[in-house]
Amino acid sequence: MTVQQSSQRRGGGYLQRPAPSGLADVIEIILDKGIVIDAYVRVSLVGIELLTIDARIVIASVDTYLRFAEATNRLDLIEHGGGKPLDEFIGNMQESGAAKKVGGAVKGAKKAITSGDDDEERRPARKSSSRRRSEA
Amino acid sequence: MAPTTTEADLVVDTDRGYFVYGVVAQAPGRVPEGLTGVGGAPVRSVGHGPVAAVVGEIDLQRTTGRRADLVAYSEVLDELASTGAVAPVQFGSVLLDEQSIIEELLAPNEQHFAGLLDQLAGRAQFNLRASFHEHVVLGEVVTADPEIRRLHELTRDLPEEAAYADRVRLGELVARALEDKRVLEVEALLDSILPLTAAYSLRSGAGIEHLLDVALLVDDERRSEFEDHLEGLAEAVHERIGLRLVGPVAPYDFVGGDTWG
Repeated sequence: MTVQQSSQRRGGGYLQRPAPSGLADVIEIILDKGIVIDAYVRVSLVGIELLTIDARIVIASVDTYLRFAEATNRLDLIEHGGGKPLDEFIGNMQESGAAKKVGGAVKGAKKAITSGDDDEERRPARKSSSRRRSEA
Repeated sequence: MAPTTTEADLVVDTDRGYFVYGVVAQAPGRVPEGLTGVGGAPVRSVGHGPVAAVVGEIDLQRTTGRRADLVAYSEVLDELASTGAVAPVQFGSVLLDEQSIIEELLAPNEQHFAGLLDQLAGRAQFNLRASFHEHVVLGEVVTADPEIRRLHELTRDLPEEAAYADRVRLGELVARALEDKRVLEVEALLDSILPLTAAYSLRSGAGIEHLLDVALLVDDERRSEFEDHLEGLAEAVHERIGLRLVGPVAPYDFVGGDTWG
């Protein structure tokens, strides 16, 4: 991103200042954001529906609770850590934690978009527009 | 708004449309010469009164939403944001022709867009994410709550399929304890940060480590102070909380209706 280059990490380095160059970062920044043009005057594009996936996750579900319990019980790795250094366990936990994040829907959206990447084939477009004048 | 007529998809008799990136103030040279966007198409402005839509032609037959398209869209907006105020339009918004751009987008919203651009002038968006260090806060939760500790000790050495109800209960209590913790931490973080910002917009998030995801609008003249403050804050909380700052980016989160209070 162009703006980004003017400002990079400074100071003590505790604040992460990543340049949002990856696809995941870009999606995170733009997902569902911006001025919304009335659907009745917009032209439908192929592929756009992938971006409208609701990123909000329902917390209060049994499945989510089980994941929280699982994460809590992984604490045993630290408490009964045997011979391995603590840092190594924490590092492993964070890696496995990242792979099991509750926010699976966002990841799904990213994956879906990435899978179409560099896909130059032309698909049948919706040559239709839900163009309609309001007659109110 | 309830539909007043039956929606009927009309066949579009062209393969070309205009991808709309955002809205800027109409001024000569506002869109940099040679700027290209989605599909490599040149980016230009279509003006009406004080405002202009920044657009590029697009092939309607082509699949959009690929990596290159998303990156191109965000690069165009960041380029525009680096040289003045821009109000981003949601990714994937395409209008048929210049007449639509003027009549459907700009003319009905001219005053609104002009006011929006005034508010965005001289400001930039930063996205701040605060995350708990998972192992630290879970340890705190287990230590602080006797019932969580009991269920943790009861279930941790059992196979996954055993003690199902106890594990659900454990997870529920942990989730609630984290939420309580979150409320306090978020309040403290926002109290520390918001005095340096012009506006903010909370973003949704989830997960054990999730604490705060917020878009911040910062005056250019306070940017250094803001960045220094966050650096100090990150150092102060780093044992329990990680802070991640992305930006400046175009003000995607500050063009809706409710963030200006």
